Amino acid sequence: MKPDRLQISTPTDTTIVLTRTFDAPRRLVWEAMFTPDKMRRWMLPPPGWTMTVCECEARVGGTLRLAWKDDDADPVMTLQGVFTEVVLHERIVHTETMALGSGQTIGSLVEMHEFSEEGGVTTMRITQTYDSKEARDGAIASGMDQGMEAGYQQLDAVLTQPA
Amino acid sequence: MVSDRSARLDLVFHALAHPARRAIIRQLSGGERNLSELASPLKMTFPAATKHVRVLERASLVRRRVDGRQHLCRLRAAPLEEATLWTEQFRRNWEARFEALDSVLDEMKSEDKSRARRR
Repeated sequence: MKPDRLQISTPTDTTIVLTRTFDAPRRLVWEAMFTPDKMRRWMLPPPGWTMTVCECEARVGGTLRLAWKDDDADPVMTLQGVFTEVVLHERIVHTETMALGSGQTIGSLVEMHEFSEEGGVTTMRITQTYDSKEARDGAIASGMDQGMEAGYQQLDAVLTQPA
Repeated sequence: MVSDRSARLDLVFHALAHPARRAIIRQLSGGERNLSELASPLKMTFPAATKHVRVLERASLVRRRVDGRQHLCRLRAAPLEEATLWTEQFRRNWEARFEALDSVLDEMKSEDKSRARRR
């Protein structure tokens, strides 16, 4: 198995860069990334959530609309964006705003995808640019299970205490 | 199989997932302690404390040395820093998606091939 094919870096205070290779030509990677029936299959929702809306028009001015619903309760989460730059199979930029069903916005960013292909292998580089360092850090931290998060915060506090 | 790095991280995550082991780390952040010093404030038996220390040792979070009849434990914070824990779960979430994308692409490639054959 290939070790750590996904590289994540934070080159500036407001950005996250994800780089991943795929064993397929970039034409197919592009299609899988921006065609709704393909997106539904890889955009895995958090456990206990189901994707209810998936619309994507990858052209300048086209919109991106995704929504998820909690299986056991009412909460809905939406993601909406607009494509601002499209160079077919090479480069695509869209805005993105996440919101809760109540309308409360929980973060917005600009996402750029760049594709390059060599010998049938595609490298995709995603650059996410957030409004602020806090928003960027929040996006990373929200991936963490809350119990673990609390445990680490406790631990951080302990480890920074003078002995 | 997983890479060395993620295998190591799994050990660190597992070690930190138990409140007793976090309590031991808290105690050790005050300096070196022997096993009974670790066990008593936690109202833990000696064997139970030993078991938790072993898990911490496996994650390289604790180093134990034997001095006469005493087992002295010391904290090693390096794995915590190396683990860059705060990006790890983010990375895992994306990797899970990209692995699903790998399967979608495999299917698309075989569809492409069979279409080419039909032509």
